[in-house]
Amino acid sequence: MKLKDIIGSLSLNVLTNLDDKEVTGVYISDMLSDVMSNAKAGNLWVTIQTHKNIVAAANLIDISAVIVTQGTRVPEETIDLANRYNVIIISTNDSTFALSGKLYQIGIK
Amino acid sequence: MPVTAKYIVEVKRIQEILNAKTWVSNISDSDYITGIYASDLMSDVLAYGKPGSMLLTGLYSVQAIISAYMAEFRGVAFIRNKTPEEETLKFAREKGMFVLSTASDMYDACIKLAGLETVIPEEAPEAEKIHKSDNLTTYTFKIDGNDFASAGMVSTRVKAILKSIGYEPEIIRRAAISIYEAEMNVVMHARKAEVTLTASDKEIYIIVIDEGKGIGDIDLAMQEGYSTATEEQRALGFGAGMGLPNIKKNADKLDINSVVDVGTRIEITFHIK
Repeated sequence: MKLKDIIGSLSLNVLTNLDDKEVTGVYISDMLSDVMSNAKAGNLWVTIQTHKNIVAAANLIDISAVIVTQGTRVPEETIDLANRYNVIIISTNDSTFALSGKLYQIGIK
Repeated sequence: MPVTAKYIVEVKRIQEILNAKTWVSNISDSDYITGIYASDLMSDVLAYGKPGSMLLTGLYSVQAIISAYMAEFRGVAFIRNKTPEEETLKFAREKGMFVLSTASDMYDACIKLAGLETVIPEEAPEAEKIHKSDNLTTYTFKIDGNDFASAGMVSTRVKAILKSIGYEPEIIRRAAISIYEAEMNVVMHARKAEVTLTASDKEIYIIVIDEGKGIGDIDLAMQEGYSTATEEQRALGFGAGMGLPNIKKNADKLDINSVVDVGTRIEITFHIK
């Protein structure tokens, strides 16, 4: 599924520059090693972490986009770094659980 | 218009991409560049060029290579297939610089070089030194303990280097994950460390030597979930107790030596199939 379609159908807020990418699935975790170990290239990464290091992690394993849940404010420096590395960060007011349900409903399995 | 980009690229790759003719080679220390600067105005080169770069220019006089030398560039690539002057070649030979020429015009050459997937973000740390011999490239980096703000930058740089060398995505991913975990361990548990990356056509070999508190019980540290990270570090998502197990899972070989209150030495090897 295309990232832009997901963003459109769930009305997510894009905080960084946006390229359209193919989304291969979803990985949910707030532990960075867990993401590094188990998320696959092209996955959406759903988390509440917002510090700069998420950009390095997402870039290293080619995450399609990071979705920050619960309306957590993402620091400016994280967004700046993400733009520099072409990492896409998206935010939503939904909880991780609520967002997961919606992602599943629109057909990401 | 001057155009700058930050790269760390083997000159060999530039030669391939531009289908360039090599006039002066000087392979030993000059066979990689850390930037490209495209300009026909030599005062621009002197004002804005960064040491270690390559000059891409349509200015054919000997002033081009002299300016490049003054700006501490590694070499020059002339566009539109111009034959460099003998004086230019002589200067390059004396100063250990390379000289290339390409049939591309400036726009075409810039587009081709911009297509390299090796752009290094400006914030990434510079490799400390680079040694190169037959099919073997070595890079070293420093990591500071407790520097969470730049944590992950060395791994990011390593990934870009491995990508530029042209390894398979699968091995790059495994190496990137491993070095990331090793880097985070240094940031969390050590005062500082030096990372050495050696890349050859047979293997990717990474050594991380830190000064820090060391690991008391390596078997315990290898167990998934075991961690000595602080609450604060865990709140940031670090210290899941998966670092060393993650490296072991991804590497073809992992060796750990540690002395409590002195430091830890981790050697990670990936075999190229």
